[in-house]
Amino acid sequence: MTPDPLNRLVAQLAKLPGIGEKTAQRLAFHILRAPGEYAVELSQAIREVKEKVHLCARCYSLTDSELCGFCRDARREEKVLCVVETFADLMALERTREYRGRYHVLHGVLSPLEGVGPEQLRIKELLERLNDGKVEEIILATNPDVEGEATALYLTRLLKPLGLRVSRIAQGLPMGGDLEYADQATLAKALSARREL
Amino acid sequence: MERFVDEALVLSTMDYGEADRLVTLLTREHGKLTAFAAGARKSKRRFAGALEPFMRLRVQIVETRGSTVRLDSVDIAAGYYTARQDLALIARALYAVELCRELTRDHEPHPELFALLAEYLARLDAKEAGPTSLLAFELSALAHAGLMPRFDACALCGGEPGERPRFDQSHGGAVCEPCCGRARDAVAIPPALLSGLRALQEGHRTPLPPELRARARGLLNVFISHHLGRRLKSVDFMAQVGLD
Ligand SMILES: [Zn+2]
Ligand SMILES: [Zn+2]
Repeated sequence: MTPDPLNRLVAQLAKLPGIGEKTAQRLAFHILRAPGEYAVELSQAIREVKEKVHLCARCYSLTDSELCGFCRDARREEKVLCVVETFADLMALERTREYRGRYHVLHGVLSPLEGVGPEQLRIKELLERLNDGKVEEIILATNPDVEGEATALYLTRLLKPLGLRVSRIAQGLPMGGDLEYADQATLAKALSARREL
Repeated sequence: MERFVDEALVLSTMDYGEADRLVTLLTREHGKLTAFAAGARKSKRRFAGALEPFMRLRVQIVETRGSTVRLDSVDIAAGYYTARQDLALIARALYAVELCRELTRDHEPHPELFALLAEYLARLDAKEAGPTSLLAFELSALAHAGLMPRFDACALCGGEPGERPRFDQSHGGAVCEPCCGRARDAVAIPPALLSGLRALQEGHRTPLPPELRARARGLLNVFISHHLGRRLKSVDFMAQVGLD
């Protein structure tokens, strides 16, 4: 018989995505064997992430203060705004180290088959923050699937009449990729989105 | 375990666990199937870009125990990429696939419905299918599913619908004025709407004016949700984004 506290920890860990019963057990034993501070710090970190992290009041990314680091950073370009589906997408764009503008996180995409409409996304908030007239260009960086495309097209309809420059991130072949092994959909898209040289 | 090849239209997809995806397909020969696509979310190779609503595919399927089948490989037959660049066309295509998904049961072959949907998607992609054609598509799809609303005669007495017709979804169509006492939910509709819908049912392709289209949309929404037991989700989307 395993002690109840251990069972409870295993049960909680097993609820995490990608963690099965076996892995949960391994993690639980690891925590049990580790020095006492580790368990304290882990539990504190878990509690703090829930207590302190919330949505940025301007761009709806994550922050532990009123405005997030991207909104507070005065060196970032105010004229360009990149619209993403999720915070994870924002982080992916940040990893490129190429983008120096601001962000807006929608927290989802339009999903006709799931009944997700414009009101369930942070679209109203996007329009509100454009009121100050500082933004000149919007980059739509939703995923290249039918829902991401529908969202980008819907936003374009709203944003174009405001006199903003609206662009969509390019879609096509991966860098260093091999044409021969590219999948049909990507290759078809790359062909139709070809550019003149 | 049996393996077969078929043509399929993707009706909807659902992420499953961390790496996999469940895909609802309308196949030409095997009807509607829910197929398990292992690794579809992680591996970019095997299914990349193909498992999206309203893709037309050649699929290789392996039958498994239970009602779900396994998707072995896919080949895109038509991506309808032009339609994917226009919000109104996306909205109509998704409405069409949702309707087909709700009108069919697993493993019941509907080759005519498959052909109808494939043909409709091809016309959307060719920019030849406006809002009226969606109504025409719906009427044909309903007919294939044995749910044909009746517009040519009173659903109760079989007589002429007359000058002041009603529509009653539970009786399956038009109701004449004298019969309307027996049809409690019947609502009055303009005779022009009745004749317009009848013309679409008979295969005429004359576009309806926007007011009649809006009335027809409302009427079909009520009819479809009455017979399916729920409202289609993509219909709300069309209304929310101001399209038909
Ligand atoms: Zn922010
Ligand atoms: Zn009658």
